Amino acid sequence: MSDIVGVINYGIAGNIHSIKKAIEKAGGTVKVINNKEDFKVVSKIVIPGVGSFKDAMKELENDNLMASLKEEIKTKPTLGICLGMQLLSTLGFEYGRTEGLSAIDAEVKPMLVDAKVPHMGFNNINVLNSNDLLKNLENEEFYFMHSYEVVNYTNIIALTDYAGHKFVSSIQKDNLYGVQFHPEKSREAGIKLFKNFLEL
Amino acid sequence: MRTRIIVKFDVKPPYVVKPVHFEGLRKIGLPMDLAKKYYLQGADEVMYVDIVASLYQREILFDEVEKTANELFIPFGVGGGVRSIEDFSKLFHSGADKVIINTYAVQENPDIINQAAEIFGSQAIVVSIEAKKWKNNWECYTDCGRIQSNKDVIDWVKEVEKRGAGEILLQSVDCDGRQRGFDIELSKKVVEAVHIPVVISSGAGTLEDIKEVIEQAKPSGIAIASILHYDKYTVQDIKEYLRKNDIEVSK
Repeated sequence: MSDIVGVINYGIAGNIHSIKKAIEKAGGTVKVINNKEDFKVVSKIVIPGVGSFKDAMKELENDNLMASLKEEIKTKPTLGICLGMQLLSTLGFEYGRTEGLSAIDAEVKPMLVDAKVPHMGFNNINVLNSNDLLKNLENEEFYFMHSYEVVNYTNIIALTDYAGHKFVSSIQKDNLYGVQFHPEKSREAGIKLFKNFLEL
Repeated sequence: MRTRIIVKFDVKPPYVVKPVHFEGLRKIGLPMDLAKKYYLQGADEVMYVDIVASLYQREILFDEVEKTANELFIPFGVGGGVRSIEDFSKLFHSGADKVIINTYAVQENPDIINQAAEIFGSQAIVVSIEAKKWKNNWECYTDCGRIQSNKDVIDWVKEVEKRGAGEILLQSVDCDGRQRGFDIELSKKVVEAVHIPVVISSGAGTLEDIKEVIEQAKPSGIAIASILHYDKYTVQDIKEYLRKNDIEVSK
């Protein structure tokens, strides 16, 4: 694999350290994307996520990455992780109403569930449509840490059940993939997911 | 939901130590070595607290944090001496997934919780509580149970939830390091007082202690130190025992 994976480094919130490490453990090469020139050498993109929806969109704009990112994810295989998946949506409602990258027709809303929120800990995924990213991971557990969920009806590839509430835990639209959980925090199962991503 | 089994590191750099009653320290080992050990044992998460940073009023040591993070492919919470948004940011960039705050928020500036939640998201903000019983109530302490805050634990956990904290790490000054069981009454009250996850710490001596506090208080996670650090049990021993007793845990 000669692919180089670009991991977007934006704002003061992002923890790209663990994602970089996990991709390297899966056998990949990582280029941290600090400015739009960095996109040239990468053939795949990972959008990490620590932070709030509103703040993340602001930081992408401040760091002058927004326009290039929107363009790049039209063609390159892209994986959004947690907030990174949420940002692919049209609209987010964390700390007010914020426009997202609008790559997938979806909205990001607070989880409404009769249980503790944030949803925090290891949970299963129920794969609805077999696909290359989640191949052979149907029975694995992944780590979730989130208070918001993606509301989408057309691009779901996996759902997760939290206290009887089923929410979207993975999406795919053409070259775009998103996972609500953190593969970089999900032991060997997460490393396998990155291997699948490298093989796309 | 699977109850998380978390390993807690009380760090007096460069060592993980184990205080008894928050005093009288014993050296256990280096954080990076222990991180690897517990990751391989199947820990769900590690929480690392520099227990002297706040007292000495110095910054947490970011290199130590980064070295420890390198061994972990599970969530990593870090705290100790955090007093600014810049501290939060530096810790995330050193490999922390969650930042744990206590002293500065409870003694000086609770607004830092609101500010941090707005920038980093609630899921990444853990408020640590050091509770000490006084008559029928519990009061928040700081700096390893040395300094009073005059804040009631139940009022404070409700307040930090409103301010945007995403999780509570509940420690008991009375039970910590003694291995004689958890403060179940306190645990129940805190879990019932908030809608955010609560991780209970301080007091595990036997596997029964852990089972009992999970059954009675229904926390989201248990943070364990002494019985793992002294190799009395492994993380897998704990998980197997809980599974046998119909308590859901991750693999």
